[in-house]
Amino acid sequence: MTTQPTSHSLHNIPTLCRGSRSLLRNWLVRNPIDSLGFCIPTIIVGCGVYGFTMGLWRSGIMAAYVGIKFPLVIFSTLIINGAINGMLAMVLGSGISFRQSFQFLLAGFALMSIILLSLSPITLFVILHAAGPEQPEAHLMHNIILLCHTSMIAYAGIASHRSLLAQVRDFATTPAHGTRTFFAWLAGNLFVGAQVSWVMRPFFGSPDLEIQFLRDDPLNGSFYDSVWKSVTNLIGF
Amino acid sequence: MTDKQPPKLPRVKTQQQGQPKLSEPAGPNADYAPMDGQGFSHILSHLLRKPLSIIHEINKGHKNPVIALFIITLSSLAVFGFVLGIFSSGQQLWMAPAKVIGGVLFSGLICLPSLYIFGCLDGMDAKIHHVAGLMLTFLAITSMLLVGFAPVVWLFSTSSNSLIFFGVLGLLVWLICLIFGLRVISQAARCMGGGSRGNLKIWIIIFILVTLQMTTTLRPILGTSDKFINLEEKHFFLGYWFKIMADKKNDRQTSRQPEREAKANEKVE
Repeated sequence: MTTQPTSHSLHNIPTLCRGSRSLLRNWLVRNPIDSLGFCIPTIIVGCGVYGFTMGLWRSGIMAAYVGIKFPLVIFSTLIINGAINGMLAMVLGSGISFRQSFQFLLAGFALMSIILLSLSPITLFVILHAAGPEQPEAHLMHNIILLCHTSMIAYAGIASHRSLLAQVRDFATTPAHGTRTFFAWLAGNLFVGAQVSWVMRPFFGSPDLEIQFLRDDPLNGSFYDSVWKSVTNLIGF
Repeated sequence: MTDKQPPKLPRVKTQQQGQPKLSEPAGPNADYAPMDGQGFSHILSHLLRKPLSIIHEINKGHKNPVIALFIITLSSLAVFGFVLGIFSSGQQLWMAPAKVIGGVLFSGLICLPSLYIFGCLDGMDAKIHHVAGLMLTFLAITSMLLVGFAPVVWLFSTSSNSLIFFGVLGLLVWLICLIFGLRVISQAARCMGGGSRGNLKIWIIIFILVTLQMTTTLRPILGTSDKFINLEEKHFFLGYWFKIMADKKNDRQTSRQPEREAKANEKVE
């Protein structure tokens, strides 16, 4: 007889990392509350600690701000996209319900948070031994830190979503329907996640700008406006 | 279809020859077996010949080689650090071994959580203390190989005056030993049910970068300084290396200036 891992135990961490089908199926079919009980605290702790190390380069206050904001970005993206993700899962014939689509994505972000948490000692080491924002090399260091965090977050995102894709394909009515649904979710989450991050900026904290929880006009403009402006400036349009 | 012909059986998809089974982990290595014999010397010889048997012993055996591995790591790093310290001699004879031991162990410690998680992502079925044992075995092998290179490094430490050359040599030796040590991690991961999804390769890159940054954080390991560690002045390792090279180039140019002026004066006269 196989025993199901208990929801609130740390045993779920390696099980989720290994991409265990039984754990997620158990959450989706039998114990939906258990998945919330594991995934929500994991995202708060994982992204919170990693966010803390992200902001620490500027100051302790910035670290605290980012520690709060990073999990908020994840939850905001999930909530804003919750309705459309559920609908897409149904429309695309995956056989995944509204609740299950939310649980799938929550589990994916929980895995991402675990990966980021495991990388936090390394990022903390990098930050503590990096030239500070008041030193002459500040701009170079800011770029290096930016690159370092972007690479780590991108890796964590890719690894977690790769695992999630396998789970969705396995759970959906057919693997093809699962793949379609997964990429629809991914596109929506990337689109909305970028804008949510833009609204909640700053995260890395440019050395020239003051430390703030949110910018003075957080809802003025969009991520895509700024990308467009950067591209037009670059090509001299 | 006639009565004589038997009815056709439904087609069953069979695996074609040469195609690996995707769902199955790679088979365990033959070396991943209990260790022969007991004692420190056996552990030493197994560490180089059959490191997987030591990992097997940590995971499933009764002979606990952890203390022996720890002693091997500490003593090997101390020897290698001492040889590095010979380059500058004086206080570096004790400072360099202390920094090498501290740096390697601290790198291992901060990379341990990510090794566990990345191993799990690769499908490794291991508990945190198994992964800690794997990390210790990897550090012990790397350290022992460093001792193997110690005579070569000593030869250059006594003969070369170039800090840059000696620094590059030290890094090269470190990277070569790391490659052998990290290979054991990949092999062990496969024996423990994982190692096929590429996450451990990412971890290996991260570990190498951490140790390279450690050389800058714990500076000077080769040169001389009044302080044991300079934590006020912070640098990224690549930036620091380029700065050192530029400083040395400027020093050389400055030292040659009087010679050039003397030659120019001779020509004028």
